[in-house]
Amino acid sequence: MKLKMKKNDENGGNTILSVSPLKAITLHLICLLGLALAFCIPNHIYSLDLITHPSQTLRMISVFLAPVLILLYSHLRHDRTQCSYVKAVGRGLLALPAGAAVNALGATILGAPVGFEYFPKTFNWSLLMSLLTFVPAACVFGSSWTDWHRIFARTKASESTDYMISLPAHGAVIGAWFGAWPMPLDWESPWQEWPICVTYGAIAGYLVGLVTSLGCIIFCNRQQHLKEE
Amino acid sequence: MDSSSLTCKKLTVIAVLAVLIQVFGLALFVLGFFPVKPALSGFSGVESFYPPGADSAEFQNTTNLSDSQLKYLYQSALLPLKVMVFNLVKLQELSLVPPLFDRLILMVIDGLPAEFVLGKDGEPPPKPFQEAMPYTQSLLSKGRAIGYHAKAAPPTVTMPRLKAMVSGAVGGFLDVAFNFNTQALLDDNIIVQFLKVGWKLVMHGDDTWLKLFPGMFSRHDGVSSFFVKDTVQVDQNVSRHLVDELSRADWNLLILHYLGLDHVGHLGGRSSVLMAPKLREMDEVIKMIDLNSLPTNNNDQGRTLLLVVSDHGMTENGNHGGSSFEETDSLALFIGPTKFGSTSGTPNKANQVDLASTLALLFGVPIPKNNVGMLMPETFKSLTGQVSEYVLHRDDDYLRRKICGRVFGYPVPSASTSLVLKSDKINQARLIDQQLRLLELNSWQFLRLLEAQLPGLVCENFSCDNFRDDGSERTRGYSNLEETFCCLYMKASDLHRSWKSGEEKRSASGDNRHSVLMAYHNFLRTASEWLSHRATDKPVGQLIFGVAAMLVSCLILLSLLFLLGKQVFSEQNQQFSSANNDLSWWHLDEVFILVVIVIVVISMGSSSLVEEEQYIWHFMTSSLYLLSLRKVMQHIVTRTEQNTSATLGLKTNDYIQICSIFVILISGRFLRGWHQGGVNWTNLPDISKWLEQVGSTYIKLFQLVSVIILVNISLVSLMWSRRSKKNFMTVVSLMHLFPGWLVLHYITKYQDVAFSTGSYDATLMAQIIYVVLGFCSTAIVVAVPWCIPFQNRTVSVPEVQRKAWGLCFRDSAYVIGLSYVYYWSLLQLLLQQPVNSMPVLFLFLQVLACIWYSSGSNQHRRQWVEVAALYYMGMAGHFGLGNTNTLATIDVAGAFIGVLNHSTILSGVLMFIITYASPMLYLLSMVMYNSVKDTSSFIISEKGNIGSLLKRTLGFPCLVPLGLNSILLIAYTIVLLLMRNHLFVWSVFSPKFLYICATTVCVCVGVSVVASTMIYISLVLTYREKLHTHTD
Repeated sequence: MKLKMKKNDENGGNTILSVSPLKAITLHLICLLGLALAFCIPNHIYSLDLITHPSQTLRMISVFLAPVLILLYSHLRHDRTQCSYVKAVGRGLLALPAGAAVNALGATILGAPVGFEYFPKTFNWSLLMSLLTFVPAACVFGSSWTDWHRIFARTKASESTDYMISLPAHGAVIGAWFGAWPMPLDWESPWQEWPICVTYGAIAGYLVGLVTSLGCIIFCNRQQHLKEE
Repeated sequence: MDSSSLTCKKLTVIAVLAVLIQVFGLALFVLGFFPVKPALSGFSGVESFYPPGADSAEFQNTTNLSDSQLKYLYQSALLPLKVMVFNLVKLQELSLVPPLFDRLILMVIDGLPAEFVLGKDGEPPPKPFQEAMPYTQSLLSKGRAIGYHAKAAPPTVTMPRLKAMVSGAVGGFLDVAFNFNTQALLDDNIIVQFLKVGWKLVMHGDDTWLKLFPGMFSRHDGVSSFFVKDTVQVDQNVSRHLVDELSRADWNLLILHYLGLDHVGHLGGRSSVLMAPKLREMDEVIKMIDLNSLPTNNNDQGRTLLLVVSDHGMTENGNHGGSSFEETDSLALFIGPTKFGSTSGTPNKANQVDLASTLALLFGVPIPKNNVGMLMPETFKSLTGQVSEYVLHRDDDYLRRKICGRVFGYPVPSASTSLVLKSDKINQARLIDQQLRLLELNSWQFLRLLEAQLPGLVCENFSCDNFRDDGSERTRGYSNLEETFCCLYMKASDLHRSWKSGEEKRSASGDNRHSVLMAYHNFLRTASEWLSHRATDKPVGQLIFGVAAMLVSCLILLSLLFLLGKQVFSEQNQQFSSANNDLSWWHLDEVFILVVIVIVVISMGSSSLVEEEQYIWHFMTSSLYLLSLRKVMQHIVTRTEQNTSATLGLKTNDYIQICSIFVILISGRFLRGWHQGGVNWTNLPDISKWLEQVGSTYIKLFQLVSVIILVNISLVSLMWSRRSKKNFMTVVSLMHLFPGWLVLHYITKYQDVAFSTGSYDATLMAQIIYVVLGFCSTAIVVAVPWCIPFQNRTVSVPEVQRKAWGLCFRDSAYVIGLSYVYYWSLLQLLLQQPVNSMPVLFLFLQVLACIWYSSGSNQHRRQWVEVAALYYMGMAGHFGLGNTNTLATIDVAGAFIGVLNHSTILSGVLMFIITYASPMLYLLSMVMYNSVKDTSSFIISEKGNIGSLLKRTLGFPCLVPLGLNSILLIAYTIVLLLMRNHLFVWSVFSPKFLYICATTVCVCVGVSVVASTMIYISLVLTYREKLHTHTD
């Protein structure tokens, strides 16, 4: 699922806004909260379970998570001079299906089952994956080819927003990759079905990514402070 | 070893040596782990009632069935009744001992440890179990039952145990493996012997019996042991037939196989709360059979023996498969209609294999040929007296009538009238001691088997005058082994003979008789022990030596790889010292190559991942190429960022690379979806099933399309070759077209008839195609290096000449490599099952895409990574063609295309070609791979040294597959050793090991083809160059 296909145009005047650790922590906490809520609400209110109703639950999670993430990350948009907040939200929304397509393609290539009965599962799963990987980047960078490259192809983060986007996204992808491992085992557990364990893996990876990015931001900030002193 | 001293010659010699060591070690290990025992083929007949080596003319004209007849019987269970009845009468006349019973109820309680019924070490069984089986315990205490601790040999799994019980032989693995698709028991066994004398067989219970003996039961109700959680229904499905069957008189053998107790064990272990109720249920069944069937001594049903056995025991938590006492302690409980005589009270000990010979002798049929068990003396000791009484009461004619009447009311055959004449003689002969006679029969059977196992066993050669039998002598060396057996046998038979000759004074010879008995027992026990150990004991030293040899070769290959890599790396560093600092850095894809091998090795330890290996390979190769895609992307950025002189050529190169990665990934996904593969999810839909449903016309269409596309792509790729003489390329194109056309012709015309009644035309056509393919490939390999023109002949600057040489080298390698890949794919299109034609095309596309991808990636990918990726792709494709790690998916039908008379070797080779289509294709593509790598830089720098050129071009393509394969081989060998007591060792791990061995052979063959081709090309080119300079 390491498929990083980007649009091939280059623009974007960068007026980089550095994110203070406090703001980063708040953002991360809101992300976490949103994720937790997105998990709890379908479970408690609609009594949907990932294992019994995977596609409905995934859709519900996406529906609850999407506004949180898009609104949140649009605050961090890079090209503030040319891009209004609404525009950032809009491109986040646009990126959702595009990223879903890329994720679905990657998953299918890696062996996700194809068929009419699997289509809703794959579709909803890729929506969630798109939220975790592509949408934040689209909100922040828009269509800036160089930034996308820096984050996804070369994994070189230079400042705190980069960490906030790159690490959780990579975490989600790598987590999903590992999450696919139990699928061929013959434990006959219901959670071994596509895409349940892959989703669990992706979410776990995303959480790890969030925590790491938080750590990185705090660490970098301290370094910077030390340098300044 | 200094890295600079690693010359080409040295490298080759060491690599070849390592491969030889590997093959040697593998052979040692295989022979040690899977003992190949020289088993006797065919089925025992009347000859088993004559001493071995006796004049066979005596029974030549009797109803001795030929092997083919017996095979026929196996399939249809239809034998002329006359023959069967005659057979039975004849056998019983010859055996000189009438059968002690007429009907057998074989009740198999899966997984019941004998301890539950008989207790252990003289102790009574645990109280709850004892109370759960009151009826059985009362039978035991009354002496109507004899119980045995029948020691089962590992693997303690149902199917091999059933085989051991009925055939008396401890099965090897290889003979099972070579039965390919069928699980049917083809060796001599007691069930076939019963069928031969006209018995009617009925089976209710575990469907393993139906797999072992297809079509032999006249009534059956098979239950599957698949639903382990079901402990009730499995047994009810058996017991519901019981009332009906017991009231019927038309069967002679009733097999009841109860699985519930094994399921109880798997769920809750020995002390499960369900265990006692289950035992009570079994006790009820025994009681019901006993009350309904056994005491009825009326004439139309005959005397019935109830034999309660278990196939294996279970450990404390209910598992089985290994060789601990708990697992091997199985039960054999004989319950007769009357008392078995004096019971000693202590339970007897025996081996599970003893059941076959005991049953054969109890029912008067020949002992199965490969039986290694000795009769259980207690069952006979008490019955001998009974039988003499019985014989006095009933004359022979009565016996015959009874038998004939029983077999479907057939009248007494006319052939047996001659037997009536002999009846005086028979009556006389019956006076001989029946127990000694039975021992003698068992001894003769053993002697036949011993003669097969020890070819030099001729008893006349030994003088056993001063032979004494004490315990120490059994452990003597090999040469004395034969002497031991001979002398033990001779002693027994001599004593027997002298006892027989002194028959008149027999009344006084009770002591004498005892010594004969003892002598026979001595021989039987010694021989049985040796024979059964020979089948199960693993020679530890040999195994360790084999593993050590494989380990050494693996280490040698890896260290060669390491040295070569270091050398190449340092050279590259000198060349691109300033430009590329990425070379000193471990890239993600390089790490991932190593991760793949680690993951594959780890996954080998899990039986379910071995079963589903196709997922691992597909997942890993796709991930690898996605990583490559990421890497290509990175380079695009690097260029766009540098942006200065990023030429158009480099950019298109990147797009070619991206496209080829997509071709690889997408065709890989199609291959993965073509066959569901594996074991657990084979029922899920896949493309091949869908195609077969849609109909054969579509399959044929796909086939034709694949051939046409294949031919076209190969022609286009041929044109892609840089530059050659036009006439020459036309000839090569024709040589590509013609076999393609032949295959197309074969598919349209003959394929449908190829499998029906050996169509001669189809076979001839297939043979023509083989010949044409062989001729074309040889011709191209031989001719191409001579025909590719040198350019710049006129320029005598050495550097330009070197460059021309290099181009010529690459061109020849390209044409030859493409032809290899193309001809191999054509051959596969001919041989593979029709539904696999598209996958072959996909594989071909993948190979070409891999080559395109490698051609553009000189700078940023190391050679060994690309070669390893090719190897992995080969493995992924292997599973994409529908292969699995079970032997059942080997395409046996394809192996007979173009083979007229049954030639095992030819068919075996074809089978290998079909099964290893994909790994071999990728290995052959290494020639082509060599041609696209830009070798000019070091061709120029090396100044005409072929050795170092070959080292650079051939080193990785040959060493990497060998090294990877050696890692997999040694890892799996160790896994197999560790898993030798695992439940699935014979069903999962051993077949996989056979596949690994075959992969090793495939890699060796492929690598040697690649190496010899490249060496040939470079030698020819050098010779031509020399010639050229001389003529100048």
